[in-house]
Amino acid sequence: MSTAKTLSLTIDGTPCTCESGEYLYDVAKRNGILIPVLCRSDAFEDHRACCRVCIVEVEIKGRRKVVTACVYPVEQECAVYTNSEKIVEERAIVLALLAKRAPESAEIVAMARYYKAPELDRLVELDGGRCILCGRCVQACESLGTGAISTINRGTEKEVSTPYHNPSLACVGCLSCANVCPTGAIPFIQAPSTRSIWGRDFEVLSCERCGAPMGTREEIAYAAKKAGMETPVICDACRKHEIADSMMGTYRLV
Amino acid sequence: MVSNEEVSSIIDAYPRDRRYALAVMQDMQRTFNYVPENGLIATAEHLDCSVAQLYSMATFYKALSLKPKGKHIIKVCDGTACHLRGANNLVTGVKRELGIVPGEVTADGEFSLELVNCLGSCALAPVLVIDGVYHNKVKIDAIPSILKEHATPVVTQ
Repeated sequence: MSTAKTLSLTIDGTPCTCESGEYLYDVAKRNGILIPVLCRSDAFEDHRACCRVCIVEVEIKGRRKVVTACVYPVEQECAVYTNSEKIVEERAIVLALLAKRAPESAEIVAMARYYKAPELDRLVELDGGRCILCGRCVQACESLGTGAISTINRGTEKEVSTPYHNPSLACVGCLSCANVCPTGAIPFIQAPSTRSIWGRDFEVLSCERCGAPMGTREEIAYAAKKAGMETPVICDACRKHEIADSMMGTYRLV
Repeated sequence: MVSNEEVSSIIDAYPRDRRYALAVMQDMQRTFNYVPENGLIATAEHLDCSVAQLYSMATFYKALSLKPKGKHIIKVCDGTACHLRGANNLVTGVKRELGIVPGEVTADGEFSLELVNCLGSCALAPVLVIDGVYHNKVKIDAIPSILKEHATPVVTQ
C-alpha cells in the first residue's frame, strides 16, 4: 500500500521532494546535502540522535525550530537550513562539549576544530575520554543478536561495558562494536592468530586452503548457526573458487 | 547468596515476555533486598533477552540494587528544604550510630543508608524515612531512639 504523499521542501535553498514521513537526513543526503552525524549509522534502521550533531533548523509557516535531522520525519512542506547562523553556533557548542568528553579521540577533536568549536575553558576535559556514549556499539551488538554489551549506570557514571565488567560469555569477538564506533573508543588487540576484546581472548581461525584469517572460532560458529549452515573451514574467496570449479565441471565450459 | 530455586520461584510466575523484565527484577529486589547475579542470568534466559540488557536496566534504576541492601533502609531526604534544615546533620547522626555513609550497609546487614531527593514533605523538614515510616523534624539527638525503634529486636537467651 503506497499512500505516502509527496512533499516538496527546500534544503538550504535547494528544492527537493520527498515522501511524507521520510527522515530529513535521508532527504538531504539524496539531494547531495550532507548533514554531519556521529551516532547515526546506515547499518541500522533506528536512529537515536543522541550525539545532537545533526541539528538543523526547520521553518514551517514562518516559524523556525531546531530539530535533529536523523529522526525528524518530514510531514509537511518546509524550508530547512543546515547552516544557519544559529545552527552553526549550536553545532559548534555540541562539538565543543563532545570534545571535552572525548579529548583523546582524534576524530572528535578534528571535527570540533573543523566546525570552529569554542574552547570552553571553564570545563574540564574527561581524562582519557574517547567514548561519546552514542550507543552505536550497543546497537550493533544487539542487532547481531549477541547482546554482550550495554550502557550501564547513568548520568556521569554512564559507560559502555559488559555485565559486571566481566568477560562476557555472549561475546563472539566479531569486533562489530569496535568497527561501528565513530571515535575508536573500544580497545581490542588483533594478533595474527589471536584477538582480545572486552577482557576475553579469542582464537582466530585461518582458512584451511589459503591460510587467510577468517575470524574467531566463536564468530564463525555463531554466523554459521544463524545462517543454518555447517561451520565453514575455508574462507569466502576459496569457497567461491570451489563453487566456480564445480560449476565448470558441471557445464564443461572450459 | 540466593539459591537458584528461590530465583526460579519468582521468575516462573511471569510469562515469557520481555516486558516483564522490570517487574521480575523489582520482585527480586523486594524478596532478596537486591538483584542477584544468578537471578539476572536466569531472568535473561526466561525472557529470551541478553544479560547485558537486564544489567543495563538494573544499573539505571535507583530502585534496583546489585549489592545486598540492609533489612531496614534509612532514607535521608536531601531535597532543598531538608538540605537547608540540616539533612547533613542527620547523615552525621546516622554515621555516629551505625558507622555508615550514604550508599553503605552495616556489617550485620541490618541497615543501609541512602541520601534521596525530595520526598515531598518539605513542611516537615528535615525528613528521615525508615522502612516507609516518616520521621519529621528530626533532630540529631533523636536518631539513636529512632534507629532502636526499627532495629530487629535482639533475642537474649
